[in-house]
Amino acid sequence: MKAINLVMTRKNSIAIEFDNILPELLFDKSLTQIQDSIIYMGNKQLPLSEFFEVEIEGDCQNSEDCLINIEGDLSRVKRIGFAMNSGKIIANSNVDFHVGALMTGGHITVNGDAESYAGREMTGGTLEIKGNVKEFCGSSYAGEWRGMSGGQIIIHGNVGKQLADFMLDGKIHIRGNCDILAGVHMSGGFIQIDGNVTQWIGGQMKKGIIVLNGKIDSMLPGFVFQEIVHNPLINGQYFIGKYRLYSGDRGVNGKGQIWIKE
Amino acid sequence: MEYILKNGIVFDPKNNVKGEQMDILIKDNKITDEVSSNAKVLDVTGKLVMPGGVDLHSHIAGPKLSIGRLYRPEDIRRGIKPPSRNDISGFEAGFSLPTCPTIGYRYTKMGYTTVTEAAVPPLEAKHAHEEINSIPNLDIPTLTLFGNNWFMLKYVKENRLDDLKVFISKWLKLAKGYGVKIVNPCGSEAWGWGKNVDGLDDAEPHWEVTGRQVITSLTRVNEELGLPHSVHVHTNDLGHPGNYETTLETFDCVKDIKKNRNVDRNQIIHCTHVQFHSYKGTSWRDVSSGATELIDYINKHNHLTCDVGQITFDETTTMTADAPMEYDLFRLTGLKWANKDIEVETASGLIPAIYSQHAPVSVLQWAVGLEFFMGVKDPWKIALTTDSPNAGPFIRYPKIISWLMSQEKLQDMLDNDVHSWATKRTDLGTYNREYSWDEITVITRSSPAKILGLEDRGHLGLNAKADISVYDIDVDDFDPTLKSNSETIENKLLNSKYTIKDGEILVKDAKIVKLVKSNHIWCNVKGLENSERLLENRIKPEFNKYYTIKYENYGVNDHYIKPDTQVNVEYMGENYESN
Repeated sequence: MKAINLVMTRKNSIAIEFDNILPELLFDKSLTQIQDSIIYMGNKQLPLSEFFEVEIEGDCQNSEDCLINIEGDLSRVKRIGFAMNSGKIIANSNVDFHVGALMTGGHITVNGDAESYAGREMTGGTLEIKGNVKEFCGSSYAGEWRGMSGGQIIIHGNVGKQLADFMLDGKIHIRGNCDILAGVHMSGGFIQIDGNVTQWIGGQMKKGIIVLNGKIDSMLPGFVFQEIVHNPLINGQYFIGKYRLYSGDRGVNGKGQIWIKE
Repeated sequence: MEYILKNGIVFDPKNNVKGEQMDILIKDNKITDEVSSNAKVLDVTGKLVMPGGVDLHSHIAGPKLSIGRLYRPEDIRRGIKPPSRNDISGFEAGFSLPTCPTIGYRYTKMGYTTVTEAAVPPLEAKHAHEEINSIPNLDIPTLTLFGNNWFMLKYVKENRLDDLKVFISKWLKLAKGYGVKIVNPCGSEAWGWGKNVDGLDDAEPHWEVTGRQVITSLTRVNEELGLPHSVHVHTNDLGHPGNYETTLETFDCVKDIKKNRNVDRNQIIHCTHVQFHSYKGTSWRDVSSGATELIDYINKHNHLTCDVGQITFDETTTMTADAPMEYDLFRLTGLKWANKDIEVETASGLIPAIYSQHAPVSVLQWAVGLEFFMGVKDPWKIALTTDSPNAGPFIRYPKIISWLMSQEKLQDMLDNDVHSWATKRTDLGTYNREYSWDEITVITRSSPAKILGLEDRGHLGLNAKADISVYDIDVDDFDPTLKSNSETIENKLLNSKYTIKDGEILVKDAKIVKLVKSNHIWCNVKGLENSERLLENRIKPEFNKYYTIKYENYGVNDHYIKPDTQVNVEYMGENYESN
């Protein structure tokens, strides 16, 4: 196992972009090469060492065994783990936009909050955020009609609007509350929300499953109540309690399922 | 500046040069036969030398593109390329809907120097010309949409072809257009009433005029004016199973109209993206190719030409003034769809399209396009297009060329890669033709230039425009018929060794070394000025009644089109070729 420890040494007001700081790009690099890795600040290309102290522990033969551990105030560091395909990243801070977006593999842990666009269009891997997340988590990027299609997102806190827009596949588990428009345009995949949801869940969903363990203000009229099931088996997992099953969205001839705990 | 392109293997079909090793001399912006001793020598020994590429049908500027870019940000994110340190081109973005500068960079790198914007509504012509100003390095004629224009429909209904002639002459000046484009004649106007027309003889609901009347009237007028390009027709029923009959009728309905004596071209009608108009059957379940009948007609007649609109198996964007067709596509695919009304002139629509080699209909369309390339015997009657971006983006031309040059490659695709409809429902598998470099030069340069009536390009004869492309292909040592060389063809044709336009080197060793402003090419008919003034006075009240802008603000002012090339046409009355 190779651990690349990055400690932020300089505060930045303009966001810096971290999409070059990935296990698959750095696992076989020397200390100097890592220090010289290019990061963007606005339109400026700067070496990583401009902002971070770099330390390496151990060694590895492939990116799977590479861990990037990032310390400091990362609230203006964008695109951590962007399009990452293997290895592990741990960010011990709040992070800026696009964390884990387009990732295809590997594991990202954020020990803090994340800004919007976390895990957008991801196709594989795991993104775990210990705090809250803002809008468009696990969604598609603007204009795209193919959203998250694989992998797993686990959010320990609350999430903002438009969770999992256009989701095709994969799993999302929200342990906190969720703002409006979760699972809109879903056509596959599985979302579990343990907290409350404001409203407009699953609008225009065609397929896929949403399980809501908390409360919801109101259901969209395109969803039709089917039945009440005790301890239902949903997506290979038993959920304890009484659940109301809705199907829809009938507005688009959808066959999605929303399970709501009574 | 003077140059000698030394020892290239030259293909210049118009001048019957078929792969001869020779020097090309350039002085100022022309091909010449003599240069001074100061001429710079560019050693291109053994390399493939052709005239600059000419694309006669592409969508590169105008409101559809802008809507597309707004509507498909996901497409803009494809093809992002930061500015290169090695050449002077800037940031690139977009795949099927590239940004304006990106369009210029990519065409230039491919060795293309002239690209026709194929559909500009006069009302949006300013917008189109403004976008052209943001595209570098090309000569760009624009085709003006007339096939659903209310004034045109009125003159056709009342059989006032003299007024129609003056109207076309005046409107080309206003729109700074080069030629007459007809899209789904009467169908796009019917869309204003929520309808379409079915075939050539179905009357549009408001004016009760048919597509046949529109096409024949505009063709007559086009020939009487002696415009350099013929009418450029997107026939009715695009993309509908069974539409080959409409296409055949369209081919035939103008065959007795006489061609103007003064024009260089052979055809009186150019049918565009003919692939989309060549299907038999009654639905997508029983659809099959109708190309054979159309190819047979093209081979037997000389009054028409076509371009293909070849499918390239990409996720792309369809955009057309054939708005009801786009609605049909929306109903088929359910993908996001945009619709735009261009007042009393035309309509337009836009929707993403995904052509997959595993999807039977996509494969059928792909095979139908290739049937035309294989079946039309005279390459001067056909041009390579993808109706970019409708059937695929223009950067796929080299890939199509690799298919056309290698039977082995094509057979491998038929055997292993594409859905069986390609062989079961088309005749593609029965052809055994491989294009030579000479024929490739015809369909990508010489034929489009001749069809467009641009006599100064598409060849390398004396006094031709010094638009030249050189590719890093050693012609004598390279076998394009081998499947294993397909990727090489594609890479080399995507990245020219030299692209020279107007005698200036724009690309060197696949890097853009110079950016120049694109040139607006438009057609200026002379001799009808008095009639135009009278017509203008008659039209103004109606115009100001129906349009949301005033007539005075309608035309494209001169400052929009700098630099420009006026193609002057002297109106000489009825001046037809005898049969």
